[in-house]
Amino acid sequence: MAVRPVLALPDPFLQQPAAKVGRVDAAALALAADLLDTMRARPACVGLAAPQIGVGLRAFAIDVTGHRKARSCAGELVLFDPELLSAAAPVLGREGCLSIPDLTGDVARATQVTVRGVGVDGGERIVEADAFEARALLHELDHLDGFLFLDRVASAHSVYRRKVYR
Amino acid sequence: MTHFAVTAVGADRPGIVAAVTGAFAEHGCNLEDSSMTILRGQFAMMLVVDAPAGVGAAELEHTLAGPAAALDLVVTVRPAAEPTEGGTDDTGSWTVSVYGADHPGIVHGVAALLAAEGVNIVDLSTRVVGPPESPVYTMLLEVTLPPGADPHEFSRRLDTTATELGVTCRLHPSEADIL
Repeated sequence: MAVRPVLALPDPFLQQPAAKVGRVDAAALALAADLLDTMRARPACVGLAAPQIGVGLRAFAIDVTGHRKARSCAGELVLFDPELLSAAAPVLGREGCLSIPDLTGDVARATQVTVRGVGVDGGERIVEADAFEARALLHELDHLDGFLFLDRVASAHSVYRRKVYR
Repeated sequence: MTHFAVTAVGADRPGIVAAVTGAFAEHGCNLEDSSMTILRGQFAMMLVVDAPAGVGAAELEHTLAGPAAALDLVVTVRPAAEPTEGGTDDTGSWTVSVYGADHPGIVHGVAALLAAEGVNIVDLSTRVVGPPESPVYTMLLEVTLPPGADPHEFSRRLDTTATELGVTCRLHPSEADIL
């Protein structure tokens, strides 16, 4: 368990699609712990994907507990090999990313999603999420395919400079 | 009424917009589309104004000379032809995201590909971010594809150009229909 360095733009590793995790073994659990530790080290961080800490595997952690834009809340969640089963009702919203600390951007994302993955107990986990949690799930799923919010912004003027990552 | 395209650029300070638009108000000009922003401390104004009959570029330039001198602005005025029809086709509007380690030639490299493909840039914004010792260049372009263009094929060519330039280029539809 450790807080790992977070890769930032323009590290090409962030553009690589990640590989399947497969069996939830000790290494996968160690990755889950590192994702959570690294996410917890940044108070405003609601999600972190394995490629952001230099691991090319399909895994992410999210936790939108207490976020003012959240409605559904699955709490602390680590998913391995997640897939998007359904997505509906796109809405524009502002996103940031630990890997792009200087910018935020407006991205249209589905606000009702169903995601299936494998939990830390090795069992199937199906998450139905809306609002901000749905956005966080889609943002992290994108990381696993090598996509960043900059690849999704609504227009040429939908990117904003931010002074501090809060 | 005649349209004029006007630009004004100078070191940023309060009062530039008030002074420049005051000159237009004096002639009864109507301000139409405009875009104004600060680029590294330089305030840049671009606008199209609609001038009443009898007001020409010379009159506007003469009236703008006062604020230009007072605020150390470089001002240009030129007649703007009415926009030609076209530009709206079934390929819609697309956004190209470009980012990578900053180096000279990124904008030209991408723009040269777009020009060769007949892709029209309708909006563009760039930002340099990241630590000073390793700056990252980000550019977002709003583009329209020529009629009949295949977005997938265009996307592949963007990929090739991106690899040559050592940056990432990604194409996706602009979100014009999201309320």
